[in-house]
Amino acid sequence: MARQERGSAGPDPASKGPVPGAAELDIWYFGVRLGEGRYAFLAPLVTEVVRLGPLTRLPAAPTFLPGVFTHRGEILPVLDLSELLLRRAVSLGPGVRAAIVHAEPWRVAVVADEMEGLLHVPRRRVGPPPAGHAVRDFLQAVVPDDLGDIAVIDLPRLVAAARARSAPA
Amino acid sequence: MSDSIQLLLFQLGARVFAARAENVRRIAGPSLERPEDGVESALGDPWDPRRGLVVEVAGEERTLLVDGVLGLKAVPDSDFQALPAFARDVLPTAALAGFAMLDEVATLVIDLPTLLREGKGAALAPSEETPRHA
Repeated sequence: MARQERGSAGPDPASKGPVPGAAELDIWYFGVRLGEGRYAFLAPLVTEVVRLGPLTRLPAAPTFLPGVFTHRGEILPVLDLSELLLRRAVSLGPGVRAAIVHAEPWRVAVVADEMEGLLHVPRRRVGPPPAGHAVRDFLQAVVPDDLGDIAVIDLPRLVAAARARSAPA
Repeated sequence: MSDSIQLLLFQLGARVFAARAENVRRIAGPSLERPEDGVESALGDPWDPRRGLVVEVAGEERTLLVDGVLGLKAVPDSDFQALPAFARDVLPTAALAGFAMLDEVATLVIDLPTLLREGKGAALAPSEETPRHA
């Protein structure tokens, strides 16, 4: 498994598609760290990785929505992946990066404790999700590597579930 | 020349908000005659309510108590942005109309009639449980 980017402001993941000819064999994920855990979601969901600008907090917002920020003139909601999955908020200090993702029909900026970046995974290494995982309802697969297992989550489903739980009656 | 929106800027607690000036019937204070008439809202409580924004809601006057009124500012329509769809969908209040870019800062524009119609009930977010069992 090859890691293309770790912790830098990052290339445009959308422009780093699979190598021609390897599409049937490999999957590209975007990796993040939440606490000690390693998570990933499908890389084509990510349009870019940016440094998080000043946050405007929203009154009465659920805890997984710490605010919005302006990126190239567009106001984007910030989604705290750690708060959503583990109920532990990410520290949003200076230098925090956000992955801008398109989780149909929404565009959101996802924050995590650390961005690992693009992960190139041979399809044969992708295993089924184990029973009893802490985030089992949103788990799509598990990918082992030298540093341990990476939990692959269904990000659009997670975002939709968060929306459904918080939507006003 | 583009159209512009006239915004009234006010402080409530630690934050500065904006509202369409046309929605404010008058500004009450500094000594509010009946501070108990102030409506609690999703924006939280003022630290030191010295002013009140009086708004007409369903034919009645309602007052939002605020810490201060900072003034009026005209912003071009192009500097106004609606609330992002995801934020709009998960917030318990419909009173956050969008943002005005003021000195490159995204300032929340509040729909005052909606805010005062909702009262404080809208501040109580529905379930914030981790949706891991959805």
